[in-house]
Amino acid sequence: MAKKLRNKRWNTVTWRVWAVVGVIAFGAVVVTLRLVQLQIIEHQKYSEQARNTHIARETISDRRGALLDRNGYPLAASQDTYDLMVERGRWLNPDIARAQSTELSRITGVPAREMIETVTDVDVYEVPVARGLVYDQAEAVRGLGYPGVRLIEGSRRVYPEGNLAATLLGFVGQDGVGLTGLESDLDSVLVGSSGLITYETDGLGELLSIGDRTETPAQAGSNVVLTIDRYIQSIAERELQKTIEAHKASGGSVIVVRPETGEILAIAVRPSVDMTKGDAANSNPDLFRNRAVTDGYEPGSVFKLFTAAAALDLGLVDPSTSWYDSGALSFGEWTIRNWDLSSNGTQSVSQILIKSLNTGAAWLADLCGPDNFYSYIANFGFGAVTNSGLGGEAPGQVRSPTTDPTGWATVDLATNSFGQGIRATPLQVAMGVAAIANDGMLMKPQFVRQIVAANATESIQSEQVRQVIKSDTARTMLDMMGAVTDTISSQYIDVPGYRVGGKTGTANVTDDNGGYIPDTYIASFAGVAPLDDPEIAVLVKIDKPKGVPWGSAVAAPVFSAIANKALPYLGVAPTEAALVQDVQ
Amino acid sequence: MATQHRRETAAGIIPNGSLAVALALAAMIVGAAALLPLVQSSGSTATSGQIGRLQQEREDWRARLQEQEVLVAQLSSLAHIENEARTRLKMVEPETVRYIRVPAAAPVPNQIPSRYLPQPTAPSDAGKSLWDEILDGIPVP
Repeated sequence: MAKKLRNKRWNTVTWRVWAVVGVIAFGAVVVTLRLVQLQIIEHQKYSEQARNTHIARETISDRRGALLDRNGYPLAASQDTYDLMVERGRWLNPDIARAQSTELSRITGVPAREMIETVTDVDVYEVPVARGLVYDQAEAVRGLGYPGVRLIEGSRRVYPEGNLAATLLGFVGQDGVGLTGLESDLDSVLVGSSGLITYETDGLGELLSIGDRTETPAQAGSNVVLTIDRYIQSIAERELQKTIEAHKASGGSVIVVRPETGEILAIAVRPSVDMTKGDAANSNPDLFRNRAVTDGYEPGSVFKLFTAAAALDLGLVDPSTSWYDSGALSFGEWTIRNWDLSSNGTQSVSQILIKSLNTGAAWLADLCGPDNFYSYIANFGFGAVTNSGLGGEAPGQVRSPTTDPTGWATVDLATNSFGQGIRATPLQVAMGVAAIANDGMLMKPQFVRQIVAANATESIQSEQVRQVIKSDTARTMLDMMGAVTDTISSQYIDVPGYRVGGKTGTANVTDDNGGYIPDTYIASFAGVAPLDDPEIAVLVKIDKPKGVPWGSAVAAPVFSAIANKALPYLGVAPTEAALVQDVQ
Repeated sequence: MATQHRRETAAGIIPNGSLAVALALAAMIVGAAALLPLVQSSGSTATSGQIGRLQQEREDWRARLQEQEVLVAQLSSLAHIENEARTRLKMVEPETVRYIRVPAAAPVPNQIPSRYLPQPTAPSDAGKSLWDEILDGIPVP
């Protein structure tokens, strides 16, 4: 009986044990299967989730490259700055806000009251109370150790030369992206490449000091060495500004080119934005425009240089070829007259330039014929962009029997010959004149000399575009340009020690309806110096001067002032021995 | 019977001298093993903190260098030079310019300041390693 009872109890125990073992075993199998699912089958998915939860990524960027003048002086560079952020909740206590803002005000210069108002007036977690702090200010703020007050690193563009070449350099937005000018055109070069820091974080998202950390360093942007010379640029800007103020003009441009290479030594434009003001971004967008490149104008009598060059190069005339000026020349139903309505009788080709005779220029163009004339004009680079690399460059406008067979009329040949009815940018005119000064070879305008990256320097070579006129023709043209300046009063052009050449222009200004605005002109002067072996070609354009509008009186003095200072600076020896003393 | 069994069991687990030493050693090893990650973690944290401090120091020096570069640029700007010439040195623009020919070479044109040029890189090959020399010594057909 007892044995039977024991067996029954044992059987009951065994069943229970097996039941428990079975449950545990089942659980173990379930857990194992789940582990297989999590760790093997869906390993990729969950490991990524874990990584995303515990690995933080931070994009970092290095300094934006600097824009340097041709001698390495920075025109635009970047400087680290710091924005001061305050947690709003911390300053809801007036005593804390007052105490902390007073100390922060002492460092940042922002009034304490203004800081408190900035923080309390908005309903966000964190508010910037001071921007653009420099390193020492940031250190002082850090030293205070206020909870809820932190610094965010950023950078700003600084302009050591002030507003020099502002429209050429352009503007960088708060996000560090170039918005206008070279800052925009060269943005990909200047900005460099961003880097990445990855690190492990804890459950609260804080950095795990013993976790993994990898860093792909950011690459600093390349420094760009421009062809601009800060000294010549400053002379050009100063003289341009002085002339605009003296003649109450609406604006103007000055371009200084090195003919042999096409390097732009200076490009001054007015009106222009003031980059030194903190609120440049809010300026009128028109002020950012580089009008010497984006805006066409009717170049007027300066264009007679190209007409004369074409006729000379074709062998149709020479400087002494005579021609009778009756004061009027008919083209169909239109009559061309001189600017002063004069009739000058027998004149030479040189005198056409010296006296700036419209009738003479029209005669020369007529001699060339439309095909030849427009072919030369196109070869000088008019009607097409110069491929300078600057954004928004205008091609100008040249109507010819080929490009506009129905709109073009014979009289256009005559008006185009003296620079009316045709549009060109100041850069095109400057490069055309530089081609004459460069033995007839047209060069591509060059603004960048070198791109200096972290590990290599790329030098930009000057580029020849085409031989427009023969070398002999170019030499003859320079002599004729010298004859022109010889007749201009020394009150306007006086470059002691150097012989210079050029051509004046006084052009009508078109209105929006295609007509001309009465008594409104563009005064210009295109010159080269020294005449024997030109080192600089200069175009001066003054818009809508009041009073005397003549290019000789308004624009030529700017050329004179630039040549006077630029030639000795460039190391060009004076050609007139009377001014030279020998020192033993 | 049950009492005797417990007594036997108790007698079986009473440690003798050598067992006590072994257990003490085992406890120490386990303790040391438990301490090792702590020591490692502590060392790693300290090193990590040191790296952080050095990185911050590097950033500080970089920022100071930038400040100095900007200062140099501002001091060498045309406007500053002209202002110094006019106010401190009392210089004025010449009324006439006279050119003098001197028997000397022209000044060397300005060079781009080194801070804007590529940084010189250290030579990558610092000499052959011992292994390279051994491998080079093996005649290869």
